[in-house]
Amino acid sequence: MKRRNFLKLASIGSLSFAASACTSEPDKTIFSLVQAPADMVTGSPTWYASTCRECPAGCGIIAKNREGRVIKVEGNPLHPINRGKLCIRGQAVVQGIYNPDRIKSPLLKKNDQWQPISFSQARSLIQEKAIQAAQSGSDKARMITELVGDSQLALFIHCLEKLNSKGPIAFEPLAYETLKTANREAFGIDGLPSYLMDKADCLVSLGADFLETWLSPVEYAWRFKAMHAVRTEAQGVFFHISPYQSLTGANADRWIACHPGREAAIVMGLIKATLEKGRGIGLPQSLIQSLRDASERYTTQATARMADIDPKDFESLKIRVLKAKTPLILGTGAGTASGAFQADLAANMLNLILDSDLTLFDFDRRHRVEGSARRSEVIEFFNSLSTDGVRLLLINNVNPAYALPPGSGIRKSLDSDRMFVVSFSNFMDDTTALADLIFPVCLPLESWDEYSGKNGMVSTLQPAMGRFTQAPHVGDLMLDVAFKDDRSVPDYKTWVMTQLHSKGVMREKNEWLKALQAGGVFPDVSPSVTRPRPVTGATSLFEPVDDTTGLFEPVDDTIERDPAKPVFIAVPSIRFFDGRGANRPWLGEIPDPLTKVAWQTPVLGHPESLKAAGAGHGEVVTIQTQQGQVEAIAYETRQVKPGVWVMGMGQGHIHFGRYAANVGINPLTLLPPKIDNMTGGPVFSTAVVALSATGDSKPLAHTDGSRIQHDRKIALSIPLDQMSANHDEKSAHEPSLTMEGFPFTLPLPEGYDPKRDFYPPHDHENYRWAMAVDLDKCIGCAACTAACYAENNIGIVEKDRIVEGREMTWLRVERYHDPENPEKITFFPMMCQHCDNAPCEPVCPVYAPHHSKEGLNNQIYNRCIGTRFCSQNCPYKVRRFNWFEWEWPDPMNLQLNPDVTVRSKGVMEKCSFCIQRIKVAHGVAKNEKREIKDGEVVPACVQTCPTGALTFGNLMDVNSRVRMLTQDVRAYQAMGYLNTKPAVIYLKKVVQKT
Amino acid sequence: MSDLTYAKIDQTVLDTLRPATQVYWFTVALLAVGMLGGLACWIYQIFIGIGVGGQNNPVAWGTYLINFVFWVGIAHSGTLISAILHLFHAGWRNPIARAAETMTVFAVCTAGLFPFVHLGRAWMVYYMLPYPNQRTLWPNFQSPLMFDVVAISTYLTVSSLFWYTGLLPDLATVRDRSTGLRKKIFTILSMGWTGKMEQWRHYTRGYLFFAALATPLVISVHSVVSWDFALGVVPGWHTTIFAPYFVAGAIHSGLAMVLTLMIPLRKIFSYEKIITLEVLENVAKTIILTGLIVGFAYGTEFFIAWYSQNSIEIAIFKWRALGHYKVGFWIMVVCNTIIPLLLFIKKIRRSIIWLFVISIFINIGMWFERFVIIITSVARDFIPHAWGLYWPTVVEMGIMVGSFSLFFFLFVLFVKHMPSVSMTENKEMLAEGESHGA
Repeated sequence: MKRRNFLKLASIGSLSFAASACTSEPDKTIFSLVQAPADMVTGSPTWYASTCRECPAGCGIIAKNREGRVIKVEGNPLHPINRGKLCIRGQAVVQGIYNPDRIKSPLLKKNDQWQPISFSQARSLIQEKAIQAAQSGSDKARMITELVGDSQLALFIHCLEKLNSKGPIAFEPLAYETLKTANREAFGIDGLPSYLMDKADCLVSLGADFLETWLSPVEYAWRFKAMHAVRTEAQGVFFHISPYQSLTGANADRWIACHPGREAAIVMGLIKATLEKGRGIGLPQSLIQSLRDASERYTTQATARMADIDPKDFESLKIRVLKAKTPLILGTGAGTASGAFQADLAANMLNLILDSDLTLFDFDRRHRVEGSARRSEVIEFFNSLSTDGVRLLLINNVNPAYALPPGSGIRKSLDSDRMFVVSFSNFMDDTTALADLIFPVCLPLESWDEYSGKNGMVSTLQPAMGRFTQAPHVGDLMLDVAFKDDRSVPDYKTWVMTQLHSKGVMREKNEWLKALQAGGVFPDVSPSVTRPRPVTGATSLFEPVDDTTGLFEPVDDTIERDPAKPVFIAVPSIRFFDGRGANRPWLGEIPDPLTKVAWQTPVLGHPESLKAAGAGHGEVVTIQTQQGQVEAIAYETRQVKPGVWVMGMGQGHIHFGRYAANVGINPLTLLPPKIDNMTGGPVFSTAVVALSATGDSKPLAHTDGSRIQHDRKIALSIPLDQMSANHDEKSAHEPSLTMEGFPFTLPLPEGYDPKRDFYPPHDHENYRWAMAVDLDKCIGCAACTAACYAENNIGIVEKDRIVEGREMTWLRVERYHDPENPEKITFFPMMCQHCDNAPCEPVCPVYAPHHSKEGLNNQIYNRCIGTRFCSQNCPYKVRRFNWFEWEWPDPMNLQLNPDVTVRSKGVMEKCSFCIQRIKVAHGVAKNEKREIKDGEVVPACVQTCPTGALTFGNLMDVNSRVRMLTQDVRAYQAMGYLNTKPAVIYLKKVVQKT
Repeated sequence: MSDLTYAKIDQTVLDTLRPATQVYWFTVALLAVGMLGGLACWIYQIFIGIGVGGQNNPVAWGTYLINFVFWVGIAHSGTLISAILHLFHAGWRNPIARAAETMTVFAVCTAGLFPFVHLGRAWMVYYMLPYPNQRTLWPNFQSPLMFDVVAISTYLTVSSLFWYTGLLPDLATVRDRSTGLRKKIFTILSMGWTGKMEQWRHYTRGYLFFAALATPLVISVHSVVSWDFALGVVPGWHTTIFAPYFVAGAIHSGLAMVLTLMIPLRKIFSYEKIITLEVLENVAKTIILTGLIVGFAYGTEFFIAWYSQNSIEIAIFKWRALGHYKVGFWIMVVCNTIIPLLLFIKKIRRSIIWLFVISIFINIGMWFERFVIIITSVARDFIPHAWGLYWPTVVEMGIMVGSFSLFFFLFVLFVKHMPSVSMTENKEMLAEGESHGA
């Protein structure tokens, strides 16, 4: 070769080497701190106790801090409200702090554009406006805030007082006005007692979605399952009466589909029946007489006609309520019509009749959300802004422009030259977009504070990590604004400590520290002392007066006046609550528990309703009410009453960040700004003026293939009578190789039969990890799914990918309808079964799915070359392939768990039974020179399940809970006949006849 | 055949090697563009991810596997014709043996690309090789995909050697008649063939030996490919009939592809006297046989599904015939089993046009057979909540078009630059005085 050619080749060669070093992908290394702070052990987490502020319930949380950042939030086991469990929204708290759309510095609106300014500039600006407002008269500086703790509320009042103004108004879109008013009228207490549901043996709900958003969902979930999940005696029974079954009704023994607004008729019918049977002991005779008169006309037939239900359903309900020793009637939820107040009041009366001592009510530990203002007060507040000439409006983390129906005039009130509007929000939402100045403040995980979801306890907050931005706490900001340097306390933290001290909760400094560590001060639960006396005047409400109390007029009048016509209802959503959760991508990605639709807001209708509208499932319909119209995808389901159209709240924001802006539909835009005269509350339902198919159809981003089981042995149930008769399911069938007869085969050497199994059993070393899933306890809330996303760095794929069928969920909650009984729904958590005889293992050419010596089916990410035979061969379809490189927009990548690999595209992944947690337990046990104890390893899903449906442990330990559960008569394995020998044991759901 | 002489045979074949027309180069260019399009799609997929295809949960395998099986299937019939029929002394196969074997080699090459295209991390494919490594890791020989690696590489090796061995005397013939650059190339390719007695003896023995080696591969390779599915637990895949079913189907589609290739070749290169109508008719008769076997296999599958009374098996077969993909299913049944029955009619099997049209339909049908098998079984298997549908995307179609372009590109280049009919074997036949085609 000529020399020239050689040099040419050599240079090209070396250039190519140099160029190949510059890849287009950024470095993906996690640098551990070389010089860590003195109290930090890298690789080991620190847990900080705090309180969840994703809804007014106030569950206690513990935040896991790794190398200075919070990566996961779990329930605080010491907290009396949630007892260590957390709901799906609680798990998504971290997506608030690390949200890529979080506002990092104050923004000032100039010529309709947002200009970033510094914190000090913004502070001075507010101070200036505050002084102006204070000087121009009284009540010229107003504040509307989310529901906050006593200390923060006291501070706001203190600061506003300095500005010559009255205290703030606390706004919650779901403020339970009807329930509060009903309690006031019946018991003389304008508040929200909590319910000792776990002591009831017959629970009737008139629509209260206590497993989703009502009052305190995590608490009521565990209370409900304490009364309802199977025990050896007869379990408690639960009736749900509502127009929309909802997740709560899906867990009922009987759902009675009632016409919206007519629930009261059913309660009146029960009142009549119970009084006839001589109940009402301990109540004044006058009250009993008025109730008797009022309920006179509510015979079974009349009741059934009014509520549009089957008289047989009413009879079953009646029999059960009369038979019960400790019955409890819960009120309505948010999504009801104008009859809600009457229903709640009648329910209170019925509770009094059944137990005049109201032993299942706790009036001492009431829910804090009772402190939120009535909707009528909020409307009045906004009206007064102009009439009172308010100069400064402070908005603390509320979104009335979104949460109130359009006709409420919020936008108009905020659009004023005289008034300077400041929003303390961290996100650009619909209300904040209307402000003049946005001043972001600390989020709850970055704050010192106190918020108690119930009275009788104190629940503290502390910063679980350093501040992300220079944003101060809203309390500190208010102190600056109102007092500048002339203040009674140096900062908000001191204010909180002082407040708690003055209330006698804490006396010395070390009590404060102890409280912080525990998450609060939780006195022992003693029986409730307060006993309300029934307000005798309440019965006057039962006299038929005028059209507003229509339900107490003669039946025929009601029916003639309000014929059944299509009704539209907006219901609160377990994922988004009232809309505040919409910008957390996990909440959009994890599908709705009942419809299994993610990211979209379909409108739910009964097959008959859809037929009448000329639309099919998946077709776009136009819904028109008096307020406006909206186009939505129709979702056909039997979980609603014919003639009722249901849409979940929480999406359809105009502004709320990339994950929520223009995603979904806001059903509140179809509702009238009507306020109920009696209660001051809003209505969440309205008549449908027109509904028609547009002729288009859009793909639904649903994650379920089929809604029924097609007679396969997947999510099984067992009738209650077969339980108590000591009927042994397992020996009922002759063992055979068919689906019905295949024996229960433990993934242990005991489960192997040389006549049936070709290969010998695996040799496990000391541990064989397994999980038991109790279908009787699972309520389908998907908190486990959210915990799994948080723990395992699972990619978010968003709507289009879900339409294509590429969601990355490792643990999904399947839901199956019973084709013969449309109201019966079974929820079925499905994750990798870690089969002993796994079909995925032999088919991978490179041994990427590998059976570990502890029984796990390990997916070795860096070995996987992506042939995808393993997922083809998995009968449970739990394996997830990374079709693309998923994004974690800065700073979401800070939430990633450093113990878990972040998978690149082309690699298969699946549930690992949280092997990183197993490894940690091994490390601890090794240091202490012992074996891992039962209950020491808690995977993320098991940790958070509010009802304790999941149990994890070592099958080789004959005393472990998991091993005991395998001996339960309800135990079975999903698709066990495939001889996969799964390590996930399911316990059948117990079904009662009602 | 009767008026053929050695010279005529040689001349007819060598005439095909004359300088090509513009139309020819235009076709080559078009095919090259198709190939490059496919390559571009693949590169795009490597950078963006497998998600650019239509695969999802639960259907993680799509057109890449369908095309893989399709091309491997086509390859088998070439070996059947050139190896098995050689062992059976079926003289009618001589005129088409060369082109058939070429088809095999190129089809295996095309098929061999698809496992790479299909991989999530194609750049790590070497994990499948048992190379020495620090962690003493071996590939998993229990996996049918590893069987595939062994089977396909064996098949490619044996077929290429068989093909090349058969080519040797003809390459020498071309060398002797050419000049310049061509002479230089063919001198190297013909490896010093002089026509000596020993060379002929080695040639015939070697050719026979390779034919014998290749024969079991016809059965085994596609059986191994079928076990990619049969060794899975998926309903509709997990059945023992797959090996003979796939082999019969492979031969069926391969014979059809032979017809698709031979008929235009015959016309363009004026091979009518060599590749006579009898030869084509014999191929058609074989197609009837394989079509009937395939039809029987379909029937058996449905029968066994019913006989087993396994509700899941019954459900999947019902869905295949009546569900979302029923169009594909009925195309498969009609094109593979019903249309070939037309070949029972003598007039049809002696009509060039009919043969060509039927061969195209059979290939379409056989492609859809793999579609139905691979896609429908996984779309609806055990857990109803996980059911889902699959449709291929533009990128997948681009890669498929690229694969077809690659095959035809190689074939078209071959026929114009190498002897596409075996002069040697035809001259042998002449010498032995075999004058009939069957």
